Amino acid sequence: MNIVVDQGKCVGAGQCVLAADDVFDQRDDDGLVDLLDASPPPERLADVRHAAAVCPASAIEVEA
Amino acid sequence: MSIDAERLKLPLARPNVLDLAPLYEVLRREAPIAPVTTPAGDPAWLVTRYEEVRLLLGDKRFGRSHPEPEKASRISTAAVQDGPTGEYATEEADHTRMRRLLTPAFSAKRMRMLGENMEELVDSCLDALIAEHEKTGVVDLHRGLAFPLPVAMICRLLGVPEEDNELFASLSERMAGTEIGEEAHKAREEFFRYMVGLVESKRGALGEDVISDLVRAQAEDPSFDYVEMVRLCVGLLFAGHETTVNRIGLGVLFLLTDRSRWDAFVADPDGRVDAVVEEVMRLGAPGDLGLLRYAREDVDIAGVTIKAGDAVVISTNAANRDASVYSHAEEFDPDRPERTHLGFGHGAHFCIGASLARTELRVVFAALAKRLPSMRLAKELDQLQVRATLTGGVAELPVTWRSA
Repeated sequence: MNIVVDQGKCVGAGQCVLAADDVFDQRDDDGLVDLLDASPPPERLADVRHAAAVCPASAIEVEA
Repeated sequence: MSIDAERLKLPLARPNVLDLAPLYEVLRREAPIAPVTTPAGDPAWLVTRYEEVRLLLGDKRFGRSHPEPEKASRISTAAVQDGPTGEYATEEADHTRMRRLLTPAFSAKRMRMLGENMEELVDSCLDALIAEHEKTGVVDLHRGLAFPLPVAMICRLLGVPEEDNELFASLSERMAGTEIGEEAHKAREEFFRYMVGLVESKRGALGEDVISDLVRAQAEDPSFDYVEMVRLCVGLLFAGHETTVNRIGLGVLFLLTDRSRWDAFVADPDGRVDAVVEEVMRLGAPGDLGLLRYAREDVDIAGVTIKAGDAVVISTNAANRDASVYSHAEEFDPDRPERTHLGFGHGAHFCIGASLARTELRVVFAALAKRLPSMRLAKELDQLQVRATLTGGVAELPVTWRSA
């Protein structure tokens, strides 16, 4: 799995953190997405896909 | 008959506080973007289908400002979502600055850290309600829990004195009032003056809270208008409690009007609370209008042409019940396979308080299921007093757990 986030699009909603907090975080200074793990193990795919689907700014791309 | 006379007039009357007008189903199917007349009497487009609602909310060709605000369609008769807001030329830059400023204070991590604090607060509310119930046999969850929790949390986050709660709650209620005419706009002015007083009293001793952050940022940035800053503080205090108070009320009603829902939840509160909260966010439909946007250019979509400057009322309530997206869409079913909804909006204006609201709702519903498993409504749904405000919801939530 390979995850790419676009901080230019991110609106800091924090939906991804709620979906997979081992993969995504929000930066302390501006609240934008902080990708903790760009290639998590395959069993995390469902939650990561969910994070991408609920992102209100479509700022997460997942290649599996 | 002129075309205007044939237009649907908003709001579409709903059968009760939980259900939507059946006409929404027809609109989604046959006219997902339909010409309507707003409660204020002006023309607008009403968007009801999930696909178009999500598309429009994520489309930068739609904003909240208008190049000629005095010519823009007026929407509600309340002093909230009544017309365009912000500067047309600088809207996107202004909004981005505002998000950057506020997002850290409302981040998922920070809200999770507040969770323990909330649990203590909810427990003390429930202790008081249980003591009262021993004497009276019926208690009001609205007054004793749904109202005080969100108010206390937003006061702490924003740095607003909690003892002002009756004042700003009544200002919020009047500001969102749909049946009081000019009073709503007077309330908005009063709320503005209250906030100026608060901002100025804090300026000498700024603290670790959101209003202090905004005062600092405004003082340092000449392009950040003072009036805009105060309006933003009013908006945060209004939206930070009003919406969650309503959502707790609607959630309790969804759960208690069908015993099987409540019993299923009570059987496993910790395991089911997240799904219950998401279903409350999907189905709970406060207010009868929607999110307001104005087209910044001509847009062809779903067989219609929305002209630059046209008002668009985006019904997330209707989209969240779209049968082309959700199986048995009108039913309350936390076990449904679809995990997403538009209850917090979508796109650049996605609710900045979503993580706060989710944390509050999870704490509240888990505590209710654990501590008051035999709770039931003490009045019929149709007997409950409904609030005549833009944000809707109930004004009372009488419950009992006395053995019948």
